Amino acid sequence: MIRTLIAKEMRAHLLSFRFLASFVILFVLVAVTAVVLTGDYVRKLDEYSARQAEIDRYLRDYAHFNRIGGVLEPTQPPIPFLALVRGLTADVNMEAFDNDPLPVMFPLVDLTFIVTILMSLVALILTYDAVSGEKEDGTLKLMLANSLPRSKIILAKVAGAVLTLVGPLVVSLAAGMLVVLLHPRVDWTGADWGALGLVVVGAVLYSGVFALIGILVSSIHRSSASSIMTSLFVWTLLVLVVPNLSPYVASFLSPAPSRIKVARETSRLTDVDRDDLGRRLMAQYQGEVLRQYPVLGERLTEAEVKRRVAEDPEYRKAFEANRAASERAWNEANRIQGARAEELRDDLRRKEEAQTDLARAISMVSPLADFAYLATDLSSTGTRNQAHFGSLARLWGQAFRRDYRTKKVEELRAKDPTADPWNTPIDMTDAPRFRYVEEGLGGRVQAVLPPLAVLLGYGVVLFAAAYLAFIRYDVR
Amino acid sequence: MIGTVARKEIVANLLSYKFFVVLLLMVLLVATSLFIMHRDFSGRMADYQLIRPEPGAPIAVVPPNPLSIFAKGLDDAMTRSFEIGVTGVDVRAGQSSGNIVYAFFPAPDFLYVVRVILSLVALLFGFDQISREREQGTLKLLLGGPVSRAQVLAGKWLGNFLSLSVPFLLVTLLGASVLLFDRDVRFSAGDIGRLALILALALLYLAFFLSLGMLVSALTRRAATSVIVLLFAWALLVFVLPNLGTLVARQFVSVPSVRALSEKRERTWTREVLLGLGERGNWAEHYRTISRENDRMEEDYRLRFERLVRLSRNINRLSPAASLLDAATEIAGTGIGDESRLKAEVVRYKNAIIDPIIADQAAGRREARYAAFTYRRRSLAEVFAAGALFDAAWLAVFNILAFALAYAGFVRYDVR
Repeated sequence: MIRTLIAKEMRAHLLSFRFLASFVILFVLVAVTAVVLTGDYVRKLDEYSARQAEIDRYLRDYAHFNRIGGVLEPTQPPIPFLALVRGLTADVNMEAFDNDPLPVMFPLVDLTFIVTILMSLVALILTYDAVSGEKEDGTLKLMLANSLPRSKIILAKVAGAVLTLVGPLVVSLAAGMLVVLLHPRVDWTGADWGALGLVVVGAVLYSGVFALIGILVSSIHRSSASSIMTSLFVWTLLVLVVPNLSPYVASFLSPAPSRIKVARETSRLTDVDRDDLGRRLMAQYQGEVLRQYPVLGERLTEAEVKRRVAEDPEYRKAFEANRAASERAWNEANRIQGARAEELRDDLRRKEEAQTDLARAISMVSPLADFAYLATDLSSTGTRNQAHFGSLARLWGQAFRRDYRTKKVEELRAKDPTADPWNTPIDMTDAPRFRYVEEGLGGRVQAVLPPLAVLLGYGVVLFAAAYLAFIRYDVR
Repeated sequence: MIGTVARKEIVANLLSYKFFVVLLLMVLLVATSLFIMHRDFSGRMADYQLIRPEPGAPIAVVPPNPLSIFAKGLDDAMTRSFEIGVTGVDVRAGQSSGNIVYAFFPAPDFLYVVRVILSLVALLFGFDQISREREQGTLKLLLGGPVSRAQVLAGKWLGNFLSLSVPFLLVTLLGASVLLFDRDVRFSAGDIGRLALILALALLYLAFFLSLGMLVSALTRRAATSVIVLLFAWALLVFVLPNLGTLVARQFVSVPSVRALSEKRERTWTREVLLGLGERGNWAEHYRTISRENDRMEEDYRLRFERLVRLSRNINRLSPAASLLDAATEIAGTGIGDESRLKAEVVRYKNAIIDPIIADQAAGRREARYAAFTYRRRSLAEVFAAGALFDAAWLAVFNILAFALAYAGFVRYDVR
């Protein structure tokens, strides 16, 4: 029986104008977005390899350790999923003088947008009059005159709506994927397919939640004219208001000190204060060395120092002790002031994390935010990937600074003990280069379990509510 | 006669469930948005007090714009602090937060509420004007009286526009006047004038969506059909067209990525420092080279970026939402044009003081003082000339077009 009911629901949807309109719009939009975003992705690929080549060329000519960190800084290469989901990868960069403000004003259209805004609208449009419309037509009475339990009817309505939604989604996405895959420069891997599959599951759940909202609202209202109003009201709040308000509300409830204030204080600690302390410690330590090696008291030019270091082993020992004292003093100063600054930064980090967690929790009230987190984390374009990238960059930084740089500095000093290893050009073509590897699918899937659970929870609660409302519905 | 029809519409609206929902949404959202953006503004103002330069310091920073409460636009980017050093401009304090959730969703300022949510509300006022009255049979009765179709349409438009705009204006003006008495905000007389212009634009924009609703309603037989058509039209106009438009523009104008530029700056810096170390001494020349090369790169970027903005702005004009966004942010002084103008001013400021800075550094003077940075927002005349007037006129044209087409549709409408 339930099959017949579902078939009836689906047939009614499939033949309707709203279904046709939704399908056409979805299909065209997904295809156009896929074309545009794929082109953009390929452009990004080209630009990325040009930038890498530029850095390589540069490293062959000039490189010294004091500033190389800035040139060799790890960057995220474009990933194939950018042809579908953009997430947080917009090239805004407020830290640089040449920032790009366009994405701030006009966020990009991608699959996340199409699902969150359009699919939810389509779901509401298909279901806002599921019950109230049938009441108005008088068919609800006829249906209930048969020996049909109401639970079956409402279940069939939900199943019919969700199944109807899956069709246009999958077909349009298939068209979009065709566009993406036909491009010879997109390497779509097995893990990408897995992630995409889960994104589709999330999208179906998300649309299902809105279909349930439509059915629930329609079984509360007597007329479909008022049920569309309520559905749109709820939709507006959940989709357009709650997520946008959430970070502001969280900053209100769980304040964090302003970054500017903390930056001011830490930079004073590690700059002016550090220099004062360092100079004081250096004078103290070098004074001790001077007492031990009075020969250092002579005033010599740089060339003479070089000559004596080469000729006189005694002087060389004194010179090295003096240098060690200075290094010790500055290390000490750096350590003390660094620890103080770190304390401030830790406090800021803790408070910001608390605020972010709260904002995330508030925003997850909205199914839109749930789906946005789900899609961006699965596609490696969200916060999860930012953390992953950060840890990769730290690993590379260790490999470069601790292992490679120490080795090079030692090599240089073995050749010439007076050389300044920080400001001397060094051949760095053999330096370890940063390599980005996407996080494994397992970790990403684990990260999206909470939003998935919220969406499922929404589904269950809404279904129960819709069932209760329909049981009490006056069909006359 | 128009008055009677309008009055009938207003009374019908006042009693309807729709009006109740819409009123609730409007009051709730405008009030919340103003409250939240005001708090955001106060926070940024407190930051500004911290980074505000001492007199004589070579730092360019402008205070947050009070109108950013209504149209935030790029105010975050504009209130960064630009410190001038021997090698050029250094962006020090991006007033950003570590809360990543901000990056996911657009700021809920007044402009967002109008552009996205109230446009939907305006559509809901218009979508069933004609088709619903036909379905209920009252259209026949109405036209049975001594009233022309033009009068009916105009009366309906007027009645609905009033029922939409009066509560909207009331709640906005109430919110704005609360802000007016806040000590932190301090609107100037010019700001109030600009705010009035933004409100006028917002009304023009909402009127367009009302006309669009009536147009579709005059072309469809059933209200259920017109609501579907309108919802999709709304999603396309408000979200898809402007955002896709900027992406399409990027396919035609190639602009280097921000990352590429900062990497290039870094390389120039390192190279010149290395060369300078080799020579031991003559730093001034190397500083000048760095500054000159960065300027050249910056100039090239700015030209390309402006081309990109012009193109995307023209493509985006297909959508009234983009026109409203561009015009309102430019009037508020937080638009794309203002941001690039501010950066050009910063570069000019740097070029005016960089030689003394280099000389002072070479001489080892640490407490040198330099001229202060001044930035004035563009006057309204300049803003209008730069495109805001065109956008406003364009919105009006959209409006008239939609209304004329609605009339054409209504004249041919079969009222049975």
